[in-house]
Amino acid sequence: MNPPGTPLTPSLSPSDEEKASAGRERGIFILLRVLLAKDLRRAGRNPLPVIINLLIPLCITALVGLAFGGKSDGGGLGRIRFAVVDEDKTVLTDFLRGAANQRQGGKYFEPVFLERDEAFRLLNDNQLSAVLIIPTNFSRNYLLGRAGVSLELVKNPAQSIHPAVLEELLGAVVTALNAIARNLQSEFPDWQQVFEGEGDYKQVAALIERAGDKLKRAGKFLNPPLVLYEKEVPADASKDQPASAGKPSVQKADPGSGIFGYLLTGMAGMFLLFLASNAMTDLHREIRQRTFARYHTLHHQLSPFLASKLLFTVAVLLICSTILLGGGGLVFRVAWRHPAALAGLALSYAFFAAALMAMLVALIPDERKAGALNTVVGMALGLAGGCMFPPQGLPAFLRDHVTPLLPTFWFVDTARNLQYGSGDVAWLSALLKLLGLSLVLLALSALLFRRQFRAGGRP
Amino acid sequence: MGLLRVAGLFKAFAAIRAVDSVSFEVQPGEIYGLLGPNGAGKTTTISMISGLLEPDAGEVVVDGTPFGSDPQKAKRIMGVVPQELAIYEELTGRENLEFWGRMAGLSSGDAKVRASEVLAALTLTDRAQDAVKTYSGGMKRRINLGCALLHRPKLLLLDEPTVGIDPQARLNILEFIRGLRATGTAILYTTHYLEEAEVLCQRIGIIDHGRLLAEGTLKELQERLGGDRLFVLEADLKDISPDSWAGFHQRFRVIQKTERQLVVSAIGSRDPSDCLKELLGLPVRVENVTLKRPSLNDVFLQLTGRDLRE
Repeated sequence: MNPPGTPLTPSLSPSDEEKASAGRERGIFILLRVLLAKDLRRAGRNPLPVIINLLIPLCITALVGLAFGGKSDGGGLGRIRFAVVDEDKTVLTDFLRGAANQRQGGKYFEPVFLERDEAFRLLNDNQLSAVLIIPTNFSRNYLLGRAGVSLELVKNPAQSIHPAVLEELLGAVVTALNAIARNLQSEFPDWQQVFEGEGDYKQVAALIERAGDKLKRAGKFLNPPLVLYEKEVPADASKDQPASAGKPSVQKADPGSGIFGYLLTGMAGMFLLFLASNAMTDLHREIRQRTFARYHTLHHQLSPFLASKLLFTVAVLLICSTILLGGGGLVFRVAWRHPAALAGLALSYAFFAAALMAMLVALIPDERKAGALNTVVGMALGLAGGCMFPPQGLPAFLRDHVTPLLPTFWFVDTARNLQYGSGDVAWLSALLKLLGLSLVLLALSALLFRRQFRAGGRP
Repeated sequence: MGLLRVAGLFKAFAAIRAVDSVSFEVQPGEIYGLLGPNGAGKTTTISMISGLLEPDAGEVVVDGTPFGSDPQKAKRIMGVVPQELAIYEELTGRENLEFWGRMAGLSSGDAKVRASEVLAALTLTDRAQDAVKTYSGGMKRRINLGCALLHRPKLLLLDEPTVGIDPQARLNILEFIRGLRATGTAILYTTHYLEEAEVLCQRIGIIDHGRLLAEGTLKELQERLGGDRLFVLEADLKDISPDSWAGFHQRFRVIQKTERQLVVSAIGSRDPSDCLKELLGLPVRVENVTLKRPSLNDVFLQLTGRDLRE
């Protein structure tokens, strides 16, 4: 080494002192910038953790996209091709066959009417998702109210999603047929006569009239229905469809938006927490390498250091959000109705997720122990906040007293309301709540770290 | 008054008194060595002085200002070199120096200039652009040291800065630190290496089990043993006690006794040859008697009954 004293430690000149003094007076923003630049440079030299963080949402989006398609115009699932083998060949089965070819149904389903052998041949060639068999005497047995009336669905084992959708659909059809049977049982013999070509037009007219009366009386039980699918027409869209048109307004259904918009916001709510946990492991690394403790020997508060980690994590989360919500939206053709508000909401949620993870690091500085805790906290907040399941499906106590207090719910619920609500969504309120909570969590983490340092722990 | 004054510093972790009423001062241009075995309380003491740990009792005064009354002011004139390598392995040596310089309050331009100076002084200029993870242990230690020097601290706290490096790298660092002293920097240097304290420090405090057992210059500490010579007598001393030798304790002070060795210093200023004759005349079968200069280890031995090297 050089002779000490000469190059390294020249006597302090007044100008040096002034410069150093001026340097010390630099504001908190410069400090943050230097800290953040250091983290970005480190991330650039060792990009693997960040790449993994970015790959996670990419993989999730890609996997869901591969599973559900997303390439068809009709929505995410594409048209489901299945065969109907009508071995009964009655008016009733003609009616069922016709129902599958309706305009709306035809958008999502592609039924082909085949004989049994041909249907199974195509199924084995993986050209069909399933074969629906209407057995001989199905109509007769159904109208006579006999037990053991059944429809047969043979699913293609080489496919997973489409046969499952058909199975669910068939379940709904069976439920509807059962409901009709329970309510119109007494009319069935007459209906059977009509289907067999024995009734005249007067009999048919009387049957229709009686069925109409029954339906009217059942109205109070059916309306409101127990199970409801509701799609509100946006106010501006309603304006575009004046009553003078004289036709009922038909909202163009967009299943991709309906299902995947809902899913994507929930997934973002859940996975951003895990991704924040991953990104915040850098703070664990600083603790382990004692650079955080070294920083604490300097004349700065702990908060700027933590704030820089927070900003770094938020930057990573924003890229992940863009991949999840933006990329996922493109894949599934989700047209976000309020992209700016959603972006603001995602930003504030990223702040919350990062601040929460910073606080968890302060609570448990040991990286291995913290990993388990972060996962549990993320899962609990995600599930209880309605990220993975609709909040309506949660247990009553959780749904009514806990879920509304959770930041995950503030984000997910507001994001979904932005997409599906009428437009009057208090998203700014949710955004401010999330940002406020982030500040509180950041301050709390600084306090916890300071306590640990003072107590002689090893944060 | 010293640049650093520590008075009655006390810290306990549950029932363990990690630092127990430690007091000392460090003057500008002085290297004060805190010598003690691992777990003696050296790092805890430095942690309290640097503000990482809050003392249970006692006071730290830096440049005339109590640390507690203005920690930021005290920290501004301090440079702390932790025992661990608290540097960023992904960054280059220059980037590490510049970053810590910026953190210490230097402007971007000043940090660059100072980083170049420090790199040159540490003879690391040719590796300045390499990532620290590619450095040898000694080079990492030098960068770790350099990161605390960017803002030219008046008070430098060095916590075992040469741990785990080869002798040549250690000598380089010691030489460098000696040079810092020449510029008027007050240095608190903790170590468990006797040789380092002997060759580097103007004053030495011996610490064990949290207590400062003795302090002074090397000479003052050696004089505690009664002179500048020690006699090492080798014999079969099993089941033999010097207490049984008439008048022995009036003439010699026992520093250490084992089954094979007796280390003593002469009481009063007597001729060494007379002392040798007396030792050879003891009622034991003496195999060898040698003279040596007392070391800090002998002082530590006398104070604690243990060998610092154990």
